[in-house]
Amino acid sequence: MNAIAMIRRIGQFTHFGLQLLARVAVLWQRPKLVVEQVFNTGARSLSIIMLSGLFLGMVLGLQGYDLLRRFGSTESLGTAVALGLLRELGPVVTALLFAGRAGTALTSEIGLMAATDQLAAMDMMAVDPLKRIGVPRFLGSVISLPLLAAIFAVMGLTGAHLIGVSLMGVDAGQFWSQMRASVGLNDVMEGIVKSVLFGAVLGMIAVFEGFSGEPTPEGVGQATTRTVVLSSVAVLALDYLVTAVLL
Amino acid sequence: MDWIIELREVDYAVAGHAVFKGLNLKVAPGQVSAIMGPSGTGKTTLLKLITGQIAPTRGEVWVNGQNLASLSSAQLYALRGRMGYLFQNGALLTDLSVFENVAFPLREHQQLPEATLVRQVLATLESVGLRGAAALKPAELSGGMARRVALARAMVTQPEILLYDEPFAGLDPIALGVVLRLIRATNDALKLTSLVVSHDVHEIEKLADQIAIVADGRVIISGSPKALSESRDALVQQFLTGAPDGPVPFNYPAPAFDAHVAAWLGE
Repeated sequence: MNAIAMIRRIGQFTHFGLQLLARVAVLWQRPKLVVEQVFNTGARSLSIIMLSGLFLGMVLGLQGYDLLRRFGSTESLGTAVALGLLRELGPVVTALLFAGRAGTALTSEIGLMAATDQLAAMDMMAVDPLKRIGVPRFLGSVISLPLLAAIFAVMGLTGAHLIGVSLMGVDAGQFWSQMRASVGLNDVMEGIVKSVLFGAVLGMIAVFEGFSGEPTPEGVGQATTRTVVLSSVAVLALDYLVTAVLL
Repeated sequence: MDWIIELREVDYAVAGHAVFKGLNLKVAPGQVSAIMGPSGTGKTTLLKLITGQIAPTRGEVWVNGQNLASLSSAQLYALRGRMGYLFQNGALLTDLSVFENVAFPLREHQQLPEATLVRQVLATLESVGLRGAAALKPAELSGGMARRVALARAMVTQPEILLYDEPFAGLDPIALGVVLRLIRATNDALKLTSLVVSHDVHEIEKLADQIAIVADGRVIISGSPKALSESRDALVQQFLTGAPDGPVPFNYPAPAFDAHVAAWLGE
């Protein structure tokens, strides 16, 4: 892709994003449409998020225990895992999984609707496809990603507890009390800010790629791939920016 | 006479390729009019111009006394609310049942009591013979049935203008007869204006009150089916009789055969 095409694409994306935002009133005009999408993107991603969270927590439990043992402070395991999950790994890993699970589904769904004239048909019935199809899916991501990230963090803590306390013998009282003493509201807020932001960006990318891709089988495939690639890069880049601003 | 649809000196080009050059078209209200022409002459593009999905590069499109170029998007949507459009493949919403597809425009635009809506949707489905299929999903329908459901969806809001994009393509003779009769019956019963885009000569001759033939980016002839069949224009005759060669050549432009072989082999 040459530079001009790239700048044009960024311009299209910005324009599209503003058009989406101008239509968010759908949230209170047609809440049912948004709830459906919270179910589609959020509830249907639950199993993959919970399972991944549990395993990641177990790894953190092992690695954290090994690291802290060298300093003789294994009782800080709860704090270390909780801070890592709440501030970084929860939002970021959830967003990456979400891009693969829900983002691709959104892009290909919208792309196929375009390929089979369903979007044009709505437009001809005087129904704005962006409002009827695009905005509910965008809002669905914004709402479900923070919820998934929270569940991910809880599952991660469970995994770390399982390994650290039940297997490695860290004192359960120490595990929880140290965590409660040193994890503050601002740590939780950092995670929430990040995951809401990631939800908005991922939702926008997925919906944009669906609407703007070529309405052909290859076009839908390419758009779906672009969704995953762009989403992943965007999440990691944004994560750095937000962390730098908030710390 | 007032025309319900009028295209004045319309030019339309895609990526530098001219589709229409100075096209003029007038459609009378209350009739079934047809636009015919060889494949690739931009018949579907013409429908998109009439519905304002695309804008002409030059010239004006008037529908119901309104110049489309002067309308805001809200006004364009209001105008489309009075039009029905039948897509070639039906374009049914695949995640909704047949019933919900037909109910879709009503649910989006009119706050009807559920009982009224159900009656209206089932009655419209009955008129296309598919009331019994209300609970099916679009994937369970044959091509002909899908097109009838799409027709029901286009009719259910009682539009003033119904546009049909290739309504006969790929239908078996029975389904074709059904669709033909439905177009005529709908037009006369609802007193609306129908515009059918097609290249099926025999069906259109039976159905249409007026025919316009599009070729070379403009309307080359228009009139009643009888007037057209009496035309001496070579292109009109080729099209109506289906002769393989004539003004529209059978062969795609190509170099001489031996030269082509040599070029293909890279000699």
